[in-house]
Amino acid sequence: MPHGEELLTRVGRDLHAALPSPSRHPIKALDAKGMELASRDAELRAALFRLVDVTPACRSLDDLARHLAEYVEEVDERPQALEAAMRVAHTAPGRRALGAAAATGVRHMAHRFIVGESPQAALGVLGDLWKEGSACSVDLLGEATFTREEADRYAARCDEALEVLSVAAGSWPGRHLLEADSAGPLPRVNLSVKVSALTPLMRPDAPHVGREDAAQRLRPLLRRAQDLGAHLHIDMESLDALETTMELVFELLDEPEFSDGPSAGVVLQAYLRDSGQQLDRILEWARASARRPPLTVRLVKGAYWDHEVVEARRHGWTPPVFEVKAESDRNFEELTRRLLDSRPRKDEAGMPSPSNPLLRVAVASHNIRSLAHAIAHNRATGGEDRDLELQVLRGLGDELGIAIAASGLRVRSYCPVGDLVAGMAYLVRRLLENTSNDSFLGEQQRGASIEDLLAAP
Amino acid sequence: MKDEAGMPSPSNPLKDATGLGAFINEPVLELRRAPVRASLTAALEELDGRLPLRVPVLVGGERGADAGFESTDPAVPERVVAQAGRATESHVAEAVAAAGRGAREWGARSAIERAVVLVRAAAALRGRRLELAALMVRECAKPWPEADADVCEAIDFLEYYAREALLLEHGPALLQVPGERNTMGYVPRGVVAVISPWNFPLAIPTGMVAAGLATGNAVVLKPAEQSPGCALALVEALHGVGLPPEALSLLPGFGEVGAALVRDPGVHTIAFTGSGAVGLDIVRAAAETPDGQGHVKRVVAEMGGKNCVIVDSDADLDEVVPALVDSAFGFAGQKCSAASRVLVHEAVHDELLERLTGAVEVLAVGPAERFGTDVPPVIDREAVERVAGYVEGAGRSGRVAIRGQVPDGGWYCPPTVACDLEPDAPVLSEEVFGPLLTVERASGVDAACGAIERLPFALTGGLFSRSPATVARVAARLPLGNLYVNRGITGAMVGRQPFGGNRRSGIGAKAGGPDYLLQFTETRVMTENTMRHGLVVE
Repeated sequence: MPHGEELLTRVGRDLHAALPSPSRHPIKALDAKGMELASRDAELRAALFRLVDVTPACRSLDDLARHLAEYVEEVDERPQALEAAMRVAHTAPGRRALGAAAATGVRHMAHRFIVGESPQAALGVLGDLWKEGSACSVDLLGEATFTREEADRYAARCDEALEVLSVAAGSWPGRHLLEADSAGPLPRVNLSVKVSALTPLMRPDAPHVGREDAAQRLRPLLRRAQDLGAHLHIDMESLDALETTMELVFELLDEPEFSDGPSAGVVLQAYLRDSGQQLDRILEWARASARRPPLTVRLVKGAYWDHEVVEARRHGWTPPVFEVKAESDRNFEELTRRLLDSRPRKDEAGMPSPSNPLLRVAVASHNIRSLAHAIAHNRATGGEDRDLELQVLRGLGDELGIAIAASGLRVRSYCPVGDLVAGMAYLVRRLLENTSNDSFLGEQQRGASIEDLLAAP
Repeated sequence: MKDEAGMPSPSNPLKDATGLGAFINEPVLELRRAPVRASLTAALEELDGRLPLRVPVLVGGERGADAGFESTDPAVPERVVAQAGRATESHVAEAVAAAGRGAREWGARSAIERAVVLVRAAAALRGRRLELAALMVRECAKPWPEADADVCEAIDFLEYYAREALLLEHGPALLQVPGERNTMGYVPRGVVAVISPWNFPLAIPTGMVAAGLATGNAVVLKPAEQSPGCALALVEALHGVGLPPEALSLLPGFGEVGAALVRDPGVHTIAFTGSGAVGLDIVRAAAETPDGQGHVKRVVAEMGGKNCVIVDSDADLDEVVPALVDSAFGFAGQKCSAASRVLVHEAVHDELLERLTGAVEVLAVGPAERFGTDVPPVIDREAVERVAGYVEGAGRSGRVAIRGQVPDGGWYCPPTVACDLEPDAPVLSEEVFGPLLTVERASGVDAACGAIERLPFALTGGLFSRSPATVARVAARLPLGNLYVNRGITGAMVGRQPFGGNRRSGIGAKAGGPDYLLQFTETRVMTENTMRHGLVVE
């Protein structure tokens, strides 16, 4: 490793030292306590998830309380507070009170992860984030798309979001670090879109079907983003959607009308065993493409681990994801290096290379080691800090985001927008991530030392 | 049990005392990978070059006539897939006589010898799996994912029953008291007549044939006239790995062959999957004991269903819609387990109906060979007419909410959703066996259960609810053979979801489950006095 562990450790310690103390966020500390409880007890965790999952479908507080009582019934060892709560569930007024408490709890949890019910409603939070030094990428949560009308509606919401965000972002104060890198200006407005929401025809065994249909809705969005000077990021979902998504992005971005823009990006999931080949493909496309704005690649670990493993086991397949977390973490670092190394280097005299970078690199992680590795490798290989973007999730990586901004690095928060019903699948995935035994955040919450947190995977 | 990644590993109740290795389900192909799809397309091209296949009448290993009728491609009816000999009543008598001899030879072999033959036959099918999936695409318009799953299920039946038969070799322990020795064991019944349908043209005949053979019986197979080619593949696989030719005969043909077969006094057990009318005829015929027949026939029958799905107000419609679309329209609704009626809580009825009709509107109707086809053609002209009749009736006693578009040529049936039906509409109680789904408003889960209980059928069914109490209540109340909760209601897996209907949907134990094989055996108990002059001589 050219930069060595020493530089990484220094960067990591600095980042860790810049974390705000938990006492600054008393409510979040309370959340963390609940999360920790849930991660310790699998049955309690299951009950919590099932409650969160069913909340939007419950017709009344009574209905919600009834569901809660049934889930808690299945937990063998109930904490005392819960036991007491269940005793009131036997009367109608008790159930109403319990239902109200549960509804408030779930709403509170949702608000931690979801910045607003609509782009308009999210503007306050997004503006504050910007002022505090964090850019954002807005993700419109929605129910699954099964019909043409649902796909059209999602596309219309994306279009509206681009408009609303562009108007609002115009009045945000200047933030040099968030608005340009060495390849040029960076859009203030950044929208993440999901291909599975743009078409009802996602068919894993026939990627061309979904690609052709989604193209009809993504194309106008690209035009819109181009007109407004916004960035459009195409999210990656489960492996079933990968072919459709990659082919769609490459095909559309190569169309002549998009040769000058908009700024666009894709996602690379490090937990996939063949993510190295995915990167080969991205690089190959980028080298061949005549497009001017560099493609942004957001490197993530991947949020569908349980889904991929369960699906694979159900069918008797080898899971497409690394099953040991350390392998995923090592691959994340390997891909980070490959991404950063793909960019033009300064020449021997220290002058920047005149050529446009193939890619812009965004590293999305809550793992301090992974972030420190990216920062250190970028520095060690002569990259500028502003040419590496770091990304965190709203609700999970807020403290980390603050620390990154305070360290003079560019950070972008991934901010879901939508109502509770639409956001439920997202919320459950985030909770799963946050309470899983080997999650980095879990380790951090349990008070792992900085040495342990920065140890090589 | 958890592995190092913390995921539960599949638990396996089958003991591996056999030397065959533990049973695992044959993995389906990973069709989301382009090279896998390309290999299937290539297999289809190769098969097309060899069509039509020739399927002879095969009695005791003797190849008979192979020209009498044809099976055709439902997507292109002019294309002949297989040319088959047409078995006659004299073939039936010869085949049953041969099976009588075959049963003696085969039944004398040890369970492990028989199991090894079955496992080798499974390997033979595995070696031809691409070609066999292609054959189902052509002969039955079974789309690739379902065709591949059909091959896997056939392999599973061979592997599973081979192991199950070994477990039966030693009967269960009995109470023992001093001075007597009690033992119980299972022996083959003799000759099994298998009458199989076209909708699982490889898996279902394989399951019934393998069950008969694993337990030491000989088998005479009469496959559906629509799919003789697939049946031949099974017979070839078994004959090719050391099964005595007389232990398995193949009688391609029509209903009269099956009718003669079940009436032959040399048949001991009849394993049937098909329509209720034929099934009940078989039950009646099996009750006859003509002179010279020294046994009462046993019938194992899987018949029709009217499979209902209940959707409660707390269901997640994001899960419900795709599960219903798959269960009702996959393979054009031609699975015994396919969903045909949805009973929806009134609070979510309108929303579900809207999303469901929108989802059906975008389904791709087309040939099975095309990846991306959601709804293939149905099996033949008769099926097109039957489904059209039900759609017309649904229009008269209710409303057709959506009716898809179909391409020209081929036995295509538009995927259809009907709603607002009068309670006595025939479409609510009769099996359609095609791409037609009805949606009804229910005042609640209990009312929906009541409607299901009034049906004579009890095969599969589904419930979408996130309330553990509701799930428990419905599971206790519904008489169904297979209830699926919060998922689609098709796709039963051998060893995981033993499959079969109750009430008028079937008689007999669940296929692919631990008690299925017993139906092909006779139980014998022996009690030996071990006292001799006051001395226990054990």
